[in-house]
Amino acid sequence: MNIIVCVKQIPDPETPAASFKVDEAAKKVIPAQGIAPVVNPYDPQATEAALRLKDADGGGKITVISLGPDTARDAIKHALAMGADEGVLISDPAFASIDNFQTAAALAAAIEKVGDADLILMGRAAADWDMGVVPAGVGQILGLPVVTVAKGIEKDGDGLTVTRVLDDGFQTVKAPLPAIVSVSNEFGEPRYPQLRQIMMAAKKTVQVWSAADLGIDTGASVMPLEALYQPKVESNVEIIEGDTPEEKARNLAQKLRAAKLV
Amino acid sequence: MARDFAADIQDPIAGEIVTNVGVWVDKEVKPQASEFEHADQFPEPLLQGMSDMGLFGIKIPEQYGGLDLSFECYAGVCMELARGWMSLAGIINTHVLVGYAINEYGTQEQKDMYLPKFVKPDMRCALSITEPDAGSDAQAIKTTARRDGDDYVINGQKMWVTNGHRAGVYLVMTKTDTTAQPRHKGITAFLVPHETPGFIKGKKFEKLGYKGVETTELAFEDARVPATAVLGGNEGRGFQHIMSALEVGRINVAARGVGVAQAAFDDSIRYAQHREAFGVPIFQHQAQQIRLAEMIVKIRAARLLTLDAARKKDSGVRSDLDAGIAKLYATEIANECALDAMRIHGGVAYSKELPVERYYRDAPLMIIAEGTSDIQKTVIARNIVKEYPI
Repeated sequence: MNIIVCVKQIPDPETPAASFKVDEAAKKVIPAQGIAPVVNPYDPQATEAALRLKDADGGGKITVISLGPDTARDAIKHALAMGADEGVLISDPAFASIDNFQTAAALAAAIEKVGDADLILMGRAAADWDMGVVPAGVGQILGLPVVTVAKGIEKDGDGLTVTRVLDDGFQTVKAPLPAIVSVSNEFGEPRYPQLRQIMMAAKKTVQVWSAADLGIDTGASVMPLEALYQPKVESNVEIIEGDTPEEKARNLAQKLRAAKLV
Repeated sequence: MARDFAADIQDPIAGEIVTNVGVWVDKEVKPQASEFEHADQFPEPLLQGMSDMGLFGIKIPEQYGGLDLSFECYAGVCMELARGWMSLAGIINTHVLVGYAINEYGTQEQKDMYLPKFVKPDMRCALSITEPDAGSDAQAIKTTARRDGDDYVINGQKMWVTNGHRAGVYLVMTKTDTTAQPRHKGITAFLVPHETPGFIKGKKFEKLGYKGVETTELAFEDARVPATAVLGGNEGRGFQHIMSALEVGRINVAARGVGVAQAAFDDSIRYAQHREAFGVPIFQHQAQQIRLAEMIVKIRAARLLTLDAARKKDSGVRSDLDAGIAKLYATEIANECALDAMRIHGGVAYSKELPVERYYRDAPLMIIAEGTSDIQKTVIARNIVKEYPI
């Protein structure tokens, strides 16, 4: 089974709130000083799913694709160190400020250029923008079925059986191959890279493809970013007065009712 | 989220390895280290994690199934392990140290017998030098090994043996000639399997820190080993072999000092920004700023000294001066930083609610083990004077 895993490098979600800044004029997140970007936390689970499926299937190849600046190589290297076979970085200045639909178009072109994929796996969302629409976008462009938020994926004859996470339970569906599946954190813990695999991954060459290599023109943004800002949170503290606990509770209830909170 | 602790590693692959070990430490070690430590419980699941990553084969040559990584990489890994829990870097220390001694000085038969088994922790190692009446003066040991036909018969008592109960093989320093002058010419090292008749694993010591890993007594009562158990096959070379291996141990302990100091700093600078006193976070008070600044300067210096010593060892030359400098400085500042962390945290650091008390209890081990700070100073002085002949 040939599997493609799409991974993304994002600002560290553990960045303290005080270090998170946006440039409202440029509509960009300002990278936090001294805090290195990381692999999107859902993506190693997609890689883990690919590795388990490959092991169960007894063969095939896992290709990792990432779209981003040169530093996104680290996200690819992490997947290679977990056991993936090959890596492709889609990197071009033209991709610097693209939206989700343009991202999906670039990934779809890269997936077609890699070719012969039985399955495309992605994390359920990227933890920076948290939109989770790229899998559906790629599916739309490639005309492939899309199964989202998977907690379990098993090869089932010529297709897949996928267990999805719902708000109030789980859902099991079957999908033909090739297909696109987005993998949720409920899938289970991804493996830690072994030192030997880190060494082997470091020796692997990551191919770099530009927009021209993919034969695509990103064109105008379908969903242009209008504004990017940090909400201003204001909070006030009011001490509820009263001579007895009962009186304080009564005063609190009156305040809450006046504020239309109860 | 943390600083890039691999930033000073020069080899990019080593840097990636150190970064990955750091991720494992943050996710798996830090959340449960204090629980294991307070219970003085051997951290079997963490050892399994270290084994799964391949850490036990980090210095074993590839021909024996290991990774043969650099000392620079090893030092960085030990810093990260100690940043989570100092004992983990201690468990791997004797393992690497004995493997190094066998690889450097062992016979081919000894390499073939042991090194493939050291890649996994299934056969762990212990180093046994110290005795009740011989610590820093290692040449004063009284454990003897007497030749008897094709065998040697070992008698004596050893102390403070890390991995003392769980090791599969022990590198034991003995005297085969009690009258030799200089004394080191009478010292021979043996590889003693744990099941050797007459080899007795004694009591486990209760300790201030360095918990989770057992530190024990050993006794030899007419313990009989074949002559093939002599490290390298030659009598009288044991002191040089073990002292050379201890250079590796000193790099490890220096790295442990860096790791503990870094953990103390990381906790302190975060706490100082949360904890308020006199209406502002205590970080705003100049006294705490100065304390934190002094801590990070010391830690950075210790980190660079330790990596420098490791790279010297990688170059293949003697590094006892560099390892001694790194070990002395890194372990002393680990104690200072652990105490500074107590001062910054105040009363809560004196409880077991936070790991600061663990850093404070773990740090003193490192100014004693693998050569005390005073011994390091004599090693440094005796080496540096050679560069100033008159």
